[in-house]
Amino acid sequence: MNWSWDYVSEITPSLLQGLLVTVQITLISSVVAMAVGLFFAIAKMSANRWISRIAVMVTEAIRRTPLLVQLYFLFYVLPDIGIVLSPLVAGIVGLGLHYATYVSEVYRAGLINVPKGQWEAARACNLTGRQTWTQIILPQAIPPMIPPLGNYVIAMFKETPILSAITVLDIMGEALAQANFSYRYLEPITLVATGFLFVSLCSAAVIRLLENQLNLRAA
Amino acid sequence: MGLHVAPKTAEQSPIIEFRNVEKSFGAIKVLDQLCFSVKPGEHLALIGPSGSGKTTILRMLMTLESVTAGDVVVNGVSLNHEYKNAKEFPASEAHLRKMRSDFGMVFQHFNLFPHKTAIQNVTLAPVLTGLLSKAEAKKRGLELLEKVGLADKADEYPSRLSGGQKQRVAIARALALQPKILLLDEITSALDPELVEEVLNVITNLRNETDMTMLLVTHEMGFAKDFADRVLFFERGKIVEEGPPGEIFHSPLHERTKSFLRKVIAAGQRV
Repeated sequence: MNWSWDYVSEITPSLLQGLLVTVQITLISSVVAMAVGLFFAIAKMSANRWISRIAVMVTEAIRRTPLLVQLYFLFYVLPDIGIVLSPLVAGIVGLGLHYATYVSEVYRAGLINVPKGQWEAARACNLTGRQTWTQIILPQAIPPMIPPLGNYVIAMFKETPILSAITVLDIMGEALAQANFSYRYLEPITLVATGFLFVSLCSAAVIRLLENQLNLRAA
Repeated sequence: MGLHVAPKTAEQSPIIEFRNVEKSFGAIKVLDQLCFSVKPGEHLALIGPSGSGKTTILRMLMTLESVTAGDVVVNGVSLNHEYKNAKEFPASEAHLRKMRSDFGMVFQHFNLFPHKTAIQNVTLAPVLTGLLSKAEAKKRGLELLEKVGLADKADEYPSRLSGGQKQRVAIARALALQPKILLLDEITSALDPELVEEVLNVITNLRNETDMTMLLVTHEMGFAKDFADRVLFFERGKIVEEGPPGEIFHSPLHERTKSFLRKVIAAGQRV
C-alpha cells in the first residue's frame, strides 16, 4: 500500500468541509446538551416526586441505550409517524439529547456540592431566591462544572463520526464518500484521524487553560 | 390568639414568644408544647444535652425551620402565619423576608461565602437588601471588622483565615444588617480550644455595648453563666428549668439539671 500525496490534495478540500460540519455539529449539540441537561437537572431535583421520578426514568432510558440506536430511531423510525428530520437535525438532536443526560448529572453534582450552610447563610442574610442563586450558589457551583463539561464536549466531538450512519456529511461521511468512490481508505481515514487529533488537542489545551484560570481564582 | 396575656407596659412586652410550639422531624419530636418568651434586650442562654431542641429554636426564629404546630410570635407578629381579612394563611416568602430583617444569625460552622472576601461577606447583604449604598456598606463593614479585630483581614478570602477569624467575620456579617435580635448557634463548638476566647470576647463586648436581644445556644457553661440574664435548661424539647445563671448553675432544683452540670464539670469545664 503506498501513500499518494496527489490523492491527499485532491480530497483535502472536501474533508476540510466535513471537518467544519463536524465542529458545527459539536458546538450546536453542546448547546442543546447544556440547555436540555439543565432542564433534566432541574426536573430531577424537583420537590415534586412525580416530576423527579419521570425525569430520572427518561434520562436513564436515554443513557442506557446506544447512541447509534437512538439516531436510527430519530432518522429512520420517526418518519413512519410523520416526523421527518434532515440528517443534520436528527444528528444534532440525537447527540444533544444523549449528552444532555450526562450533562444533567454534572449540574446536579455541582449544585449538591454547595454545602447546605450556604443556602442557610444566604437566608440569614435575607437575600431573595434570585440573589441566593446568582450571588451565592451558582458562583460556587459553576467553576467545578467546567472541566467535566469540557470533557463531554470533546467526547461529543469524537462521537460525531457515528452520524455518518444517518448520512450526515461530517468529516467521516465525506471520507467514506471519497473512499467508496476510489476504493482507497488509507489517505481519507488517516486524514480523518489527523483532523480529530488536531482539534481534540487544541480543545483540551483550551480546557486546561480555563481550568488553571479557575484554580487561580479559587486560590 | 391570646394564649399569652401580655404585660401592660411597653418595655416589658416580649420581643419573642413561643406559643405551644411543636416540631417533629418524621417520628421524632424535637420540640414539645414549648412556651417561653424573651424580653427586648434580654440575654438568654439555652443549654442542655445535644438533641434537646436548642438549635431548632434558633433555626425557627431565622425561618430555617417551620413549626409543626403552635406559633412563634416576634414583636407581636406571627412568624408562621399571615392574616388577610381576618383569615389565617401560611406565611408568604415576602412576609418571612420582612420578619427575618429583625434577626442576625451566627452559625456553628461559620458558613462564610468562600468566594467573597471578608469585607464582601460583610457588605453583601446590606447592599443586596437595599439597606445601605455600596459606599455606606463598605464604611460600616470596615467599622464592623475593626470592632471584631479584623480590620487588617478585610481583603482576605475565608480560606486564608483561622477558624476564630472566620467566626468573627461571620459575627460582623450578622451585625451588618443591624438586627434587633442576634442568634448565636454553638458558635465556638467547631473551634480549636485556643481560638474560643477571641470569639467569646467579641460577644462579651457586644453584650455590654449594645441593647440587642441575644439568644445563645452553647456548651460553654462558664461563658453562659457570665453572658446570660436568664438560662433555660432544655431536655427532649422541653424546658426543664429556667432562672438566673446563679440559680441554675449553683443551686439547680431539678435532678436532671444537676446531673447534666455534674457531667459538664466532670468533663473539665468551669461553671
